[in-house]
Amino acid sequence: PCTLLQPCLRRGDTGGRCGCRCGRPDPVRARCPQLQEIVFRNFYTAFLSVRVQRAGAEGSRKWVTCLRDYRLMPSPHTEEGSQDYFSLFRHQMLCDVDQVTAVRFILRQPSPVWLHFTIEELQIYPPSQKVTGCWWFAPPPQCGEGDLRQELPDPEKVSTEVQQMWVLTEVIRARQAAARIGRFDVDGCYDINLLSYT
Amino acid sequence: MAAYEKRRAAAAPAAGSGLGEPARAGAAARGLGTEAEFLLQAGVTAMVREALLKVLEARPEEPVSFLADYFEKLVLSSPGAGGEAAAEPPGLPQRLARALWYVRLAHHSHRTAFNNNMGMAYECLSASGRRKRPGVDGRLYSELLRRICRPGAAPEDVVAALLQKIQCRDHEAVPFDVFRYGVLTCFVLLEFAAKAGTLYDVLDGGSGPADKRVCQAVLHTLEDALGASDFSVPIRYLEAGSKLGPDCLALAMDRALQERELSVSMSREEFVKKATALFVAKVKPID
Repeated sequence: PCTLLQPCLRRGDTGGRCGCRCGRPDPVRARCPQLQEIVFRNFYTAFLSVRVQRAGAEGSRKWVTCLRDYRLMPSPHTEEGSQDYFSLFRHQMLCDVDQVTAVRFILRQPSPVWLHFTIEELQIYPPSQKVTGCWWFAPPPQCGEGDLRQELPDPEKVSTEVQQMWVLTEVIRARQAAARIGRFDVDGCYDINLLSYT
Repeated sequence: MAAYEKRRAAAAPAAGSGLGEPARAGAAARGLGTEAEFLLQAGVTAMVREALLKVLEARPEEPVSFLADYFEKLVLSSPGAGGEAAAEPPGLPQRLARALWYVRLAHHSHRTAFNNNMGMAYECLSASGRRKRPGVDGRLYSELLRRICRPGAAPEDVVAALLQKIQCRDHEAVPFDVFRYGVLTCFVLLEFAAKAGTLYDVLDGGSGPADKRVCQAVLHTLEDALGASDFSVPIRYLEAGSKLGPDCLALAMDRALQERELSVSMSREEFVKKATALFVAKVKPID
């Protein structure tokens, strides 16, 4: 729901290429007042700090740091973690992230090996956006040995057979005929509009 | 199988006089000395290689009987084999029998082999004797499907329901793709029915008829998984895998047993019929 502004590059003290980039997303005003989760893909950023601007009392706005030097690459000179996806949750933040009006990402890469670094595919989710109620979020049913009746058929075997039957229907679905006979009649009758004198 | 046996007995003497003799005579006349040259000349090398390829494609459980069948068909279908009789094109029953043999050569999971054989069967059926109307018409196609299903484990009326969906009318020309789909569907139905039988064996626990409530619970679970969402493929697979896992099935069966204490049994025929009906419902009709 927000876009990154052009990042500004702050060179480090060493004068080399290493340094900080600072990305600032568009202020997301009242549309996304609460942060639940930040998802992004890393591109050679070693450390990430996040600052949020919160609306205080009587209209004042204050920048606070809610994540400080979160390590994205275990070793900045090597590839590990350099292009991974990351997910930051609310509980990882150092302070409350309610009433957020703007978010600022500060990216640091101390290694001079990587000329360019950024984060990509940034997505910020409010709490309600989580998809729930789907089967894959439901915890798998667990049944202990004692709960079940003795006379029940072996579930493992039943499951194997039923799954094989399911696979067979999937075979048919996957290898359907692309060609058509080209029938124009419906239940043995032709639409009069389709017929023509020859 | 009985039909094959008979034909093999009849074909054996013809093979000796028809295929072997002229070739050997020709080779001798030309004075070919070495064995390898003879084998090449007589086409044995190519023939045996072809046979080995077929065995590798089909990976039959009993290679000897497979090869016996294979060579028998080879004799029947080779042009010089039957002497004068082969000059006239093979009749309809022969062509059907040969097509049936082709499509049964390899299991459908060996895709390449199965598709190759399907192509052979299609060619074999479409080679019309009169050379007037090549191609497979609906009558031949439907007859082939009926023959594939006939001795199988699937109940009669389920087969009828399936054929209703996939067979063509007598006058219609059947494209290869439809032909492949129809034949494949019949084979898969047979396998599905066999699987349903095995499942019933598991459900009845080897002692008498299975409990109706348990059977119905399992069928419902399967139906539920089959009717699953039209999501993309990996999601659908995961969903079905989760629904058909041992835990879910165990719970479903357990719940079914709790419902009523009145215990009624379900016969194997009824179970297979209900299960295969689920399958047939999933088959896309030909249009």
